[in-house]
Amino acid sequence: MSAKLFKGAEYLISEVSSADVFTPEDFSDEQRQIGATTEQFVLNEVLPHREEIEHHNLPLTVELMKKCGELGLLMIDAPEEYGGLELDKATSMLAAEKLAQAGSFSVTYSAHTGIGTLPLVYYGTKEQKEKYLGKIISGEWIAAYCLTEPGSGSDALGAAATATLSPDGRHYILNGTKQFITNGGIANLYTVFAKIDKQHFTGFLVERTTEGLSVGAEENKMGVRGSSTTQIILEDAMVPVENLLGEIGKGHKIAFNVLNVGRFKLGAGATGAAKRAITEGVRYANERKAFGVPIATFGAIQEKIADQTAAIFASESVVYRLAGLIDDRLATIPKETPDYYEAYQEGIEEYSIECAIAKVFCSEMLADTVDAVVQIHGGYGFIQEYAAEGYYRDERINRIWEGTNEINRLLIPGIILKRAMKGEIPLQKEAMKAFESLMSPSFDELDDSLPFAAEKALLANLKQAFLVLAGSGVQKFMNTIKDEQEILLAVADVAINIFAIESAILRAEKILPALSDSRKASIRAAVKVFTFNGSEKTASAARRAAYYIEEGDTLTMLLAGIRRFTRYDATGLLQAKRQLASASIAAEKYIF
Amino acid sequence: MKILVCIKQVPDMESRFKANSQGVWFEETDLAFRMNEYDEYAVEQAVQLKEQLGDAPEVTVLSIGPDRVVEAIKKALAMGCDRGVHVQDPAAATRDPWQIASIIASHAGDKGYDLILTGMQSQDRGSAQVGVTVAEELGYACATTLVGFAFSDGTVTAKRELEGGIKGVVRLRTPALVTCQLGLNVPRYPTLPNIMKAKKKEIQTIAVAELLKEEPLATTVSFHPPARKGGGIVLEGDVGVLVDQLLGILKDKTAVLR
Ligand SMILES: Cc1cc2nc3c(=O)[nH]c(=O)nc-3n(C[C@H](O)[C@H](O)[C@H](O)COP(=O)(O)OP(=O)(O)OC[C@H]3O[C@@H](n4cnc5c(N)ncnc54)[C@H](O)[C@@H]3O)c2cc1C
Repeated sequence: MSAKLFKGAEYLISEVSSADVFTPEDFSDEQRQIGATTEQFVLNEVLPHREEIEHHNLPLTVELMKKCGELGLLMIDAPEEYGGLELDKATSMLAAEKLAQAGSFSVTYSAHTGIGTLPLVYYGTKEQKEKYLGKIISGEWIAAYCLTEPGSGSDALGAAATATLSPDGRHYILNGTKQFITNGGIANLYTVFAKIDKQHFTGFLVERTTEGLSVGAEENKMGVRGSSTTQIILEDAMVPVENLLGEIGKGHKIAFNVLNVGRFKLGAGATGAAKRAITEGVRYANERKAFGVPIATFGAIQEKIADQTAAIFASESVVYRLAGLIDDRLATIPKETPDYYEAYQEGIEEYSIECAIAKVFCSEMLADTVDAVVQIHGGYGFIQEYAAEGYYRDERINRIWEGTNEINRLLIPGIILKRAMKGEIPLQKEAMKAFESLMSPSFDELDDSLPFAAEKALLANLKQAFLVLAGSGVQKFMNTIKDEQEILLAVADVAINIFAIESAILRAEKILPALSDSRKASIRAAVKVFTFNGSEKTASAARRAAYYIEEGDTLTMLLAGIRRFTRYDATGLLQAKRQLASASIAAEKYIF
Repeated sequence: MKILVCIKQVPDMESRFKANSQGVWFEETDLAFRMNEYDEYAVEQAVQLKEQLGDAPEVTVLSIGPDRVVEAIKKALAMGCDRGVHVQDPAAATRDPWQIASIIASHAGDKGYDLILTGMQSQDRGSAQVGVTVAEELGYACATTLVGFAFSDGTVTAKRELEGGIKGVVRLRTPALVTCQLGLNVPRYPTLPNIMKAKKKEIQTIAVAELLKEEPLATTVSFHPPARKGGGIVLEGDVGVLVDQLLGILKDKTAVLR
């Protein structure tokens, strides 16, 4: 439990202390054991069959899902009342992270336990849960989520699928085509979104054997090839009225709230995949010789290992900090609350900004990591026999689904502005203050005796930069800012990087006292490397935003402010990278 | 029926080991620890026997060591043991097998365990002495390196691994102690529901001073990596010259031609 309960996006306007963040080092023995069981399952039961799974041996995948069920890996998010374990998000993310090492199989797993199961958990009636949940958490049935259509992906509410009440009032008759449905070919239960009377966007629980439901051909994909992706075609599919999920016309709530958790989980998965990839990269670097020495001795290789190790450290920090935020918040809701899941949804929605941040930051961190790992492999990274090639292809989808990274980026400033309008975030007031500090800079001396003093000073400044840019954008464009996508994307990048840098620093500060000297040195190095890389990215995004928003003298002033706000003294950067690289190379794996 | 399983927590064997400052054991800092592999077979066998006998036996798992070993005890509880005993001993790594065995024997002395299972040896110290010494101190029948186990009517039928893959079968009346070898069984992963249930199981903590009455019989005097072998010599030049050079080296520096 953290010291203070933070609201969504509050990190942008206030100082967060290390006591307020949850970190992977805070896991309980039970959580660590769950992580170990999950990892053992992946290493011993899934990875030995990787080839078969990649070649679309779907019955094997179904079999492995049943094994997941036996181990309890499908029960984590389900209520105890229905045989679930109802564990916290930190545990759920840890399992997702460990499973992500399993490549395609993890796609089946996350779609099932995430978007497949959660609509039923959150919105299902007692009868619906009694009927389906037991089968789903045991792995007897597999679940899928059908939102996307050929004509609507990002614009999910633009769905064309329809539902019409049958004349006898006992069924809804569903028509339409759902596109790119994960687990489409192996699922027994589909959560389908369709518009009642072409108007009211609504969720339905549709069984595989429903007359009028058919499954399209398997798509031939760039990556995650072992997972099932098909169309789901509904032609006068007769769905009993008792299978309507939630309320009529409230399907968007289901669709979006489930996506919040899905995005968050994607962040955890990307983190796990990156850890595996960098481990493979380091191992190869130690093995491969060029010019008579292992390539791991080259600075060019070491720099890649160092940069990605630091980025993965940040990614982990983001995921588990967010888990802590959500868990703390959900823990304040008494289980006996009549509308428990409604309050629960609100609790998660509070952090929709952070969920979008996790999705974008972690998926892009993974993209950089797999790219570096292929590069470390040279030509062999391009050859299918080497795992690096598969990591590279499998990564790509993460920046597309669960809302493309553009959609997620746009959401971040979008929601912040909405909350500011409603008076939930004092954006205006804080922006005014930031403008003042832009005009009259203070030159406080750094107190070097405090841990990570330089990094914390930078963080405070980056938040000022964010406020100044968001304030200028709103002032200039008022309500039409929502149409200025280039600006919104740039401002989102600033917000994302601040959260990531802050998460890494606070985690490091929290865990440092308990560590050995050599671990301390590695953690300090990771913070330095990541803070430097992150501040450079933030500076670039901030300058982009400034050029888009302002011109003339105001622009000059803004740019000067950005220069000051993003200044970070990274003395010792090269030593830090070499330190991180040599620790990784000695351990032959991801070291944190 | 009462069963005791003795387990040790050992470092991940893929770690890079360094000698500690006294040079008599490895430096523990930054190592990851897990349950000794052979002890996992012991836990699994105990839990299988419990299942075979319709849940009747009570299975106690015991581990000696600093606080971190509680994690290994919890794993054993999640695998199906009923209760844990943690003999709190921050200096466990400095004790010789005789002392470790004596600690276990003085705990087990008045408990009336019918069956005690241990690993064949620990992956780090590898003395393979603790199990047999405990049996000796308690006056229990004992069989080592089990690759097969059956139990009925108070009798253990143990299949043992001998040299060169040959197997031997022995029968022991309880009370008995057996030590477990690779191949005995496939240890289960603790399932998530069992991990959560194990949270409620009791773990008793006993200070080592209450159980340890013996002085060590053996002292470790040194712990070090193998000496580095010298580098090879590359001979270059005409074949005739090379042959002479090689013969010279073999005569001077080796016993090959003597
Ligand atoms: C392998 C795979 C599995 C999938 N699994 C599922 C599943 O299980 N269930 C499910 O419902 N869906 C699933 N999807 C669908 C996935 O979520 C969508 O593909 C994704 O949301 C993008 O939609 P789209 O493909 O229609 O792209 P479009 O929406 O057409 O987007 C095309 C481009 O335009 C951009 N764009 C679109 N709208 C805007 C905007 N307003 N502002 C700025 N840029 C915009 C996008 O960022 C993108 O770059 C899956 C997809 C794949 C490939």
